[in-house]
Amino acid sequence: MMPAAGAISSVVVGLWLLNIVLDTGGQLAFKAAAGDEHAGDGFARWKHMAARPWLWLGIGCYVIEFLVWIAFLSLIPLSEGVLLGSINIVAIMLAGRFLFGEELTRLRVLGIALVTLGVAIVGIGG
Amino acid sequence: MKRFYLFGFLLLMGFDTLAQISFKYAGTQALPVEASLAWLLRVFGQPWVYGAVIGYVGAFFTWMALLKHAPIGPAFAASHLEVVSVMLLSVWLFGEHLNLARVLGAMAIIAGIVCLGLAESREQATDATSATAQA
Repeated sequence: MMPAAGAISSVVVGLWLLNIVLDTGGQLAFKAAAGDEHAGDGFARWKHMAARPWLWLGIGCYVIEFLVWIAFLSLIPLSEGVLLGSINIVAIMLAGRFLFGEELTRLRVLGIALVTLGVAIVGIGG
Repeated sequence: MKRFYLFGFLLLMGFDTLAQISFKYAGTQALPVEASLAWLLRVFGQPWVYGAVIGYVGAFFTWMALLKHAPIGPAFAASHLEVVSVMLLSVWLFGEHLNLARVLGAMAIIAGIVCLGLAESREQATDATSATAQA
């Protein structure tokens, strides 16, 4: 049973929002893990990361997101789902801006606006 | 080295695409969605969910390796342009229709991803220039 085009249920919206939170949290945790300059190389790098919480926090977010995403995609068409999921890119950029002080250049603002516009078109028009 | 990057980007897109297709199959076979053990058992009781695991883990390690070596702009774009391959495959595999909203939305999203990839590339070029100037 497919919901009619344009009619997105509140369960779908809830799963979509939860996915944004978990994906952003996971990505930021992985950034904290991978960006550690004292981590060294090769096996030592992995050992260093495994001894710190960031890698595991990231994995935890991704495991839950995995289930949320399966539930989300089972309720809407895949082509619509992957497009709506692109909003994660915007959420991660904005989180990077606020948490790591990453600069939002004009090109980046344009990119964020275009992705958001695209997601809005898909969300409204199905 | 260029060939190595290109292979890495394609591998990343391939893993991401495999994961999305598998997610859709796994979810469809586990319907109806419930916050229950029964749903989890349905999800993990059929093979597609393991295709998603392979795609996820493969994409994770490919991404970590690329982040360390490849230019970040193209790597960023490659990690998100699987929307194109997934959309085309969903028409073929699931008989979905690409209506006007999806096509227009996809075009805006792809243009946005390209802008963001270019922004990353530019930033990396600026960083390299200032590092050279400081040295």
